[in-house]
Amino acid sequence: MKYVILIHSNPQPWGHPTQIYTEEGRALPQEQHDEMDRRFNELMNELTTSSEWVTAEALADPTSATLFGWSPEGHLATEGPYAESKEHLAGFFIIDCATRERAEEIAAHFAQPGGTVELRPVMWPGSDDQ
Amino acid sequence: MEHVWRRCAPDVLTALVRRSGDFDTAEDAVQEALLAAAQQWPDKGVPENPAGWLTTVAKRRLVDHWRSERARTDREQLVAGRTPAQAFLAPAADLDDAGEHDDSLTLMLLCCHPALTRPSQVALTLRAVGGLSTGQIARAFLVPEATMAQRISRAKARLREVEARFRVPAADQLPDRVAASAQVLYLAFTEGHTSTTGTGLYDVSLADEAIRLTRQLHSHLPGAGEVAGLLALMLLSDARRAARTRSDGFLVPLAEQDRSLWDQTLIREGVGLVERALPTGPVGPFQLQAAIAAVHAEAARAEETDWAQIETLYRMLGNLAPSPVVTLNHAVAVAMVDGPAVGLCLVDPLLEDPQLARSHRLYAVRGHLLELDGRADEARAAYAEAARLATSIPEQRYLNAKAVPA
Repeated sequence: MKYVILIHSNPQPWGHPTQIYTEEGRALPQEQHDEMDRRFNELMNELTTSSEWVTAEALADPTSATLFGWSPEGHLATEGPYAESKEHLAGFFIIDCATRERAEEIAAHFAQPGGTVELRPVMWPGSDDQ
Repeated sequence: MEHVWRRCAPDVLTALVRRSGDFDTAEDAVQEALLAAAQQWPDKGVPENPAGWLTTVAKRRLVDHWRSERARTDREQLVAGRTPAQAFLAPAADLDDAGEHDDSLTLMLLCCHPALTRPSQVALTLRAVGGLSTGQIARAFLVPEATMAQRISRAKARLREVEARFRVPAADQLPDRVAASAQVLYLAFTEGHTSTTGTGLYDVSLADEAIRLTRQLHSHLPGAGEVAGLLALMLLSDARRAARTRSDGFLVPLAEQDRSLWDQTLIREGVGLVERALPTGPVGPFQLQAAIAAVHAEAARAEETDWAQIETLYRMLGNLAPSPVVTLNHAVAVAMVDGPAVGLCLVDPLLEDPQLARSHRLYAVRGHLLELDGRADEARAAYAEAARLATSIPEQRYLNAKAVPA
């Protein structure tokens, strides 16, 4: 069962890893960032060893977005960002795990200062036989 | 042409593993030989002895590999830990049908080594025994090719680490290993995605591939009841393939399927397998599930289904391998025998089960039984909840349609 872990954050300036560019992240001592990095690398190793890792991407600055609206006459392109919200989609991870509980356990590791982590099941085009 | 080389691949691989004693390198050489075949055969035609051609080319690649300086040092380091080639040929005393095909069985069991994770076992089996390319396997499981390549190379490295040998596992490990192989083939059958739109030239049906490999496993071990049960289950499910979806991709549930579209040849074969396997015992979950599929298959119309027999089989399955999912299926059979209200009494306690809390199946079944019981509004609410929880796009479409007032 595949799940996507969405990282919503608003690093200033925009950058990755996002937690070192947020206000909350800047308030933390370096040692704590180092410890979080170490644990994150451990998690990545664990996920590749267990074959639960599928893929991940970090996204560029939301102001670099182009938005396409639709109307019967055709499309209309405007320059981004998509929403004037506090947080933007900063990146995503896709994992493949046996249970929802396991997905939640993994997603919890992504919690970070100045960001919100969202876990959603991924839909698939097939279906179970019945 | 592709099926020719895919059928040869395991034999070529075992020939090379015997020569080199090194699964990892041999496997790479075979993949290179398959690539050469893909490039040369379309122009020059399929050689008279394709397996011989592939073996020759793969051996040449293996020699090339050994000649390279880095490979030579690698190999020197490996030699100490390696068993002499003869040891790979040690006869399997615990196998009664030690025929010419034992090699591909050994290969299949090696790919399901307990040191590997289940997804790695699946990937390695499809590549080494099925002869599929990394890209084909990646597309079938909807993961990036790089991810699948990494998974396969880690699996091979892991086999090297634990010094897994190319030989039939000892008698005390054999049943577990065969069971792992059966689980792997079942996963390939159920989880592999078969592209229905814009099917690429090199896309394969994992269902077909899983059936082919399960046939192989069954021919090696005709006395293994669960392997026979698995093959029967696959054939009986596959027999319904054409009836399962409408041309627009819309899902058709079992009760509404056009049974004239069911493949009677597959059904006859599947039913025959279950009938032969069941009396020989011990009975396992695959045999029971196949028996249930056989009862469905034997009903010419949905109304003629022998639900009493299905109810008994689900009760046996529940005793053998209890799970909330089996209880749910049992409840459907009970509803068909004793009425929907009785079935609902079994379903409702499952609403508290944490394992089913997010299962669309629970609400879909509940909706179905409420509908049969004439409680239309409650049924639609249950279908809407099921649709919300569904993660299969065709199933969600089906459930959304059921949730709309008629």
